[in-house]
Amino acid sequence: MKKDTSHIRNFSIVAHIDHGKSTISDRILELTHTVEERDLESQMLDSMDIERERGITIKSNAVRVAYDADDGKTYQFNLIDTPGHVDFTYEVSRSLAACEGAVLVVDATQGVEAQTVSNALLAMNADLDIVPAINKIDLPSAEPDRVREEIEEDLAIPADDAVCVSGKTGEGIHDLLEAIVYLVSSPQGDADAPLKALILDSYFDEYRGVVATVRVFDGSIKKGDRLQMMATEDVFLCDGVGCKRPLETPLPELGLGEVGYVVTGLKDPSLVHVGDTLTNPDRPCGEALPGYHEAKPMVFAGIFPVDNKEYENLRDALEKLKVNDPSLTWAPETSVALGFGFRVGFLGLLHMEVVKERLEREFGLDLIATSPSVDYHVFTTAGEILDIKSPQDLPRPEKIDRIEEPYLNAKVIVPPDYMGAVMQLAIEHRGVTKDMVYLTEKSVEMHFDIPLAELILDFFDQLKSRTKGYASLDYEFSDYRPSDLVKLDILLAGEEVDALSFIVHKDKAYTLARGLCDKLKEIIPRQQFEVPIQGAIGNKIISRSTVRAVRKDVLAKCYGGDISRKRKLLEKQKEGKKRMKQIGTVDVPQEAFLAVLKVDDDA
Amino acid sequence: MPATCGIYEALWLAKLHFRSARALYLHIPFCVRKCAYCDFASWGTDARDPLVREYTAALSHLLEEVAQAGLLEGCTTAYVGGGTPTLIGSGLADLVRRVRAVAPKVSELTCEANPDSLTDELLYKLVDAGCTRLSIGVQSLDDGELQTLGRIHTAWQAKDRLSAAVALGIDVSCDLMCALPGQTDKSWELTLREASSIGVGHVSVYPLQIEEGTAFDERYGNEPLPWNDTEVQARRMQAACDMLESAGFERYEVASYARPGRECHHNRAYWTAEPYLGLGCGASSMLTREAYGRLRAVAHQLPELPYDVSRVRLTCTSGRSELARTRSLGDLSFDIEMLTEAQACAEDLMLSMRMVRGAGPGLVEHARAVLGKREVDDTLAMCAERGLAHEQDGSWVPTHEGWLLGNELYGLMWGLAPDEVRSFNSC
Repeated sequence: MKKDTSHIRNFSIVAHIDHGKSTISDRILELTHTVEERDLESQMLDSMDIERERGITIKSNAVRVAYDADDGKTYQFNLIDTPGHVDFTYEVSRSLAACEGAVLVVDATQGVEAQTVSNALLAMNADLDIVPAINKIDLPSAEPDRVREEIEEDLAIPADDAVCVSGKTGEGIHDLLEAIVYLVSSPQGDADAPLKALILDSYFDEYRGVVATVRVFDGSIKKGDRLQMMATEDVFLCDGVGCKRPLETPLPELGLGEVGYVVTGLKDPSLVHVGDTLTNPDRPCGEALPGYHEAKPMVFAGIFPVDNKEYENLRDALEKLKVNDPSLTWAPETSVALGFGFRVGFLGLLHMEVVKERLEREFGLDLIATSPSVDYHVFTTAGEILDIKSPQDLPRPEKIDRIEEPYLNAKVIVPPDYMGAVMQLAIEHRGVTKDMVYLTEKSVEMHFDIPLAELILDFFDQLKSRTKGYASLDYEFSDYRPSDLVKLDILLAGEEVDALSFIVHKDKAYTLARGLCDKLKEIIPRQQFEVPIQGAIGNKIISRSTVRAVRKDVLAKCYGGDISRKRKLLEKQKEGKKRMKQIGTVDVPQEAFLAVLKVDDDA
Repeated sequence: MPATCGIYEALWLAKLHFRSARALYLHIPFCVRKCAYCDFASWGTDARDPLVREYTAALSHLLEEVAQAGLLEGCTTAYVGGGTPTLIGSGLADLVRRVRAVAPKVSELTCEANPDSLTDELLYKLVDAGCTRLSIGVQSLDDGELQTLGRIHTAWQAKDRLSAAVALGIDVSCDLMCALPGQTDKSWELTLREASSIGVGHVSVYPLQIEEGTAFDERYGNEPLPWNDTEVQARRMQAACDMLESAGFERYEVASYARPGRECHHNRAYWTAEPYLGLGCGASSMLTREAYGRLRAVAHQLPELPYDVSRVRLTCTSGRSELARTRSLGDLSFDIEMLTEAQACAEDLMLSMRMVRGAGPGLVEHARAVLGKREVDDTLAMCAERGLAHEQDGSWVPTHEGWLLGNELYGLMWGLAPDEVRSFNSC
């Protein structure tokens, strides 16, 4: 039976940051009456507080809207929002795989920018139909004609039909919706073939278990179907299907070409993987959809409660967080300085920041995160191979034969003017430029081999600042390579603080040690006693700085017996101290443990 | 009182239940001009402004009222502070006379004075009215420093007025400030030497604090101030201690030095759990549960105390014009803090650490009883370990380090207080 899918349009909106992706999404929801204006919370699709605050999308999201087109037919639009950060490249690729089209938003005043190029390339590589949209035409400085030319020249995308819109005023949004109807293909597939559906995302619901967002490529899904995930081979009974508009709306069936959610009833979120293929175990499809791989944590950091009594609460919080973020992994870790905590694996640095912030905000915890590390392979003289994710687990130097560290294939897209700056940056981070390709006249794609450990420190921030935000970065794991690595220890008041230790390339150890000692001197407040800070490799001290002792701290003045005021001052002081970790006799603020990320800030 | 209560503790406990105030404070919120560093409740005013007279008259009425309520029956010290009380001239002498009339047990009566408005005539009038002590705001004896501070008198004027007051035979105290812009180790030493040689019996020494909202705050903001660096403050405080002690003064409180027998009893009351009553703008009071009961009899707007409150702190939040119109405490508003017995005790430990005498055996015994023996002993041990205080003949007294790092020491003591202090605004 041939099922009609001609009314379905699955698409994403992609854009350079701040070019107005979210406002356009909001306008579409409004114009199609999916959300009434009065209910329209700005940036409807970014549902987590953190997402809205930071203006970034972390989770994918799919919203279905009904559009009454000028041709008299009603179309089903599935608007798929994608994460916008290099940590989540894989999730982006899966989201795009669920679409037939992409709206490429370009700012009418700024024109094509680096991320416009990389996003356009991603969309083209995914074989999507591209609908160019020139946004912010309400601004006096808008130059739609110039931008149209740029789109054609820089991206080689025909832009005669580019739609001029204003997310702010709503002008042109109707034309954009019409353009989507005409330019984006409808989904293909076979309604009678065995089920084949892609999992774009999943989230956990306390009552219904894991809920997966899926795109049906062949067949259909309805409540009561037996379903199987091909990678994990787990089978479950479908507990319901539906779509978001933007609130969840149950449907009798998710048909061919449609995007919606599937209630799995599964209680263990780690069973459901983004990119996996859903099929029917009794009538499985021949092969899974391409492109699946397991999201593997790349970056590992210690997460400790400031107050050791919160350890159990931290464990509970991590478990609760994992249900919505299955990529999270952890193992218990003990530090002499920080007590009991966990070594947590993250997809990248942003992911780490977001997780720490969610743990603190949603679970009321006060946490210390230690410097991020990668997974080192240590070959001991005894012939063992150890996986070392935490500097404190590194064996003594005499027991190490060699250490191998993970390398990446990194891809940077940048305007030619900045090529020199990027190469310089790569060299500073032990990267080797492999080749470069002119994509268009105004963008070059450069490929590097670079150690992951270098990339997670400040590479991304530096890249952004040295290319004035023009560069975009994408990377994938390449292989393990031997490197001359050492453990840099930090001593506070003569005592080694394990949580401040760091694995670093030998050639960089001295510079980093000096930078770290200076940074810590800034961060650690003056205490009753002088606090020497030393950087050491083995027993050798290679850098030092000193936090001077506070000589005087007393409020002597008497305000006619106003004791309340004095007491409040003391309470404020105490509050500040409570957020610090006492290590030996030294009060250390939380940010000290991430000082290594800030060392290059002032350079 | 627990059966195991020792004699020292019994003595200490007695003052936690005084039915009246032991010290009286009157606040005059007027000055000729506000100094650049000042964040006290005070406003630049013309002495002829009728508001000044009305305000003083209102204070007299309030005095009458609190005396009627029995709040002054055990009162032994009084202090008229500001602002610049001497700005109101003979009105100040009248006020002193009123205090004498309503609080007959007062034996120490201090007036704060500014060199520019302390005329010979006013001096005689004050002494005649019953003032026994003058605290003169000198701050510095260097004309350049005085000018930067925004003071309206010269060094010569200050010395002249100090001498005149000393010559009259009453107790004279001199307020000095260190770590000032333009001040050097040398100019500070000179100020100290001159002040002590004039014959005053008491000197107070404060490092300048840049307080929020002052002209200094605006002028210097957050920039690093080498002349106000804590190193400089520490050095100057130490210089003051050395210099004054060699001149025959003894330190008895973190910022106060006196010749033998010349300590300020009023100031000491603040640090030793003696209840006090403050009247006027921004004035603070500390009352026992019993004394608060008497205050409520005239100020009905004040809340009733929960059963577990044993101490109340009040700060008057009414403005000066509001005060000038009032005839009763019942018309005024207060910010209130209510402390439990344990909180009051932690507070007493904290305050005692400002005194050379420290926490006496009575207070320490009491603290062990209400705050827990282990908790108190652990805290004291930590103070000793960190070199902030040590035990001496059954008392715990601050060390040299404890003077300089007072906030650390006070913070440790206050840290013994359980729960948060209940506070109520604008009652």
